[in-house]
Amino acid sequence: MTMWLPLLGLILGVSLGLLSDIEIPQMYGNYLSIAVLAALDTLFGGIRAHLQQIYDDRVFVSGFFFNIVLAACLAFLGVHLGVDLYLAAVFAFGVRLFQNIAVIRRILLEKWTNRGRVSGEDISE
Amino acid sequence: MKKRIHWRFTLILLIVGFMISIQYNSIKKPTERDTRDIWAIRQELSAEKQVHSELLSEIRKLDKTIFSYHSLKDENTEEVLSQTVDNLNQQVGLTNVTGPGFVVHVKPAAESIALGNDIAGISPELLTRFVNEINRFKGIVLEIDDKRFTIMSSIRDINGITTVNGFDVSSPPFTIKIISPSIADSEKLYNFLSASSIHDDFYLDDLVLVVDKPENAISIKGYPEKIENRYLKELPKGE
Repeated sequence: MTMWLPLLGLILGVSLGLLSDIEIPQMYGNYLSIAVLAALDTLFGGIRAHLQQIYDDRVFVSGFFFNIVLAACLAFLGVHLGVDLYLAAVFAFGVRLFQNIAVIRRILLEKWTNRGRVSGEDISE
Repeated sequence: MKKRIHWRFTLILLIVGFMISIQYNSIKKPTERDTRDIWAIRQELSAEKQVHSELLSEIRKLDKTIFSYHSLKDENTEEVLSQTVDNLNQQVGLTNVTGPGFVVHVKPAAESIALGNDIAGISPELLTRFVNEINRFKGIVLEIDDKRFTIMSSIRDINGITTVNGFDVSSPPFTIKIISPSIADSEKLYNFLSASSIHDDFYLDDLVLVVDKPENAISIKGYPEKIENRYLKELPKGE
């Protein structure tokens, strides 16, 4: 039952955002997009940690906000330096996102294989 | 422990969803597609430019007035003020005006005379259309059948008779006088009117429009009555 709670949260958040019809100015679009990316990264990191049984509440919550703020700061600094520094954040978060998702996929695959009692197969890539 | 993790995730996902939907809202903003082609944009640009230059010239004129207020000593302020009042009177149309312009005759069409048709007066719609046509040109002074047409004037149908400023327009033939800021403007307006499709509209009502050549001195009388002002009030003295 509680499995669906996070999904419900996501749906609630999306519908809240769509219904409230809030728009941010074009010039701050970069910040928000990178914040979204940071949030997604932290989220998938959290899921991975949870699956690997090394999940820590404090790390997760602090990482979520800290990453968002850091990414926004980096973008802000980039704007003022005239260098597209936010691309660095996009790159870092993007790579980590892919890595996290790959790890999650492998763990899930492993769990699924074990449950199906299909043994003796090498699942490393 | 596990339940708490779920709550955390729910909260974080709520924030993530909210951020994503706001980003979506901001990005999909141009819902209305801009379908103007380059020509339409150019036309809009030129219209805006015209407004710009008009505003600039207005500002220049006002600046000049301010400058004259400043440069004159106290004893002459009255003169400047009366000059401004005269200027405003002229703009509103209370003064007699003489200047380059031409006369337009509205006559019944020869065919309708030959056929013995009744000569009906000009309709208010047609007269309004005509006034709108010539109002494309700036700074003109207009008189319709000896009635000065000012910014406050109205063309209305009163008991089946077309009126300007509340006075009947006589049935054709009658004359319309137009004064332009300069003889060149007058020529331009004359050419415009000579080639305008408004002739066809007049002909549909069994009327013809005869446009005389521009002359240097056409005189138009001022608006004879006081213009009623319902919106501005005089301040009590000493405030």
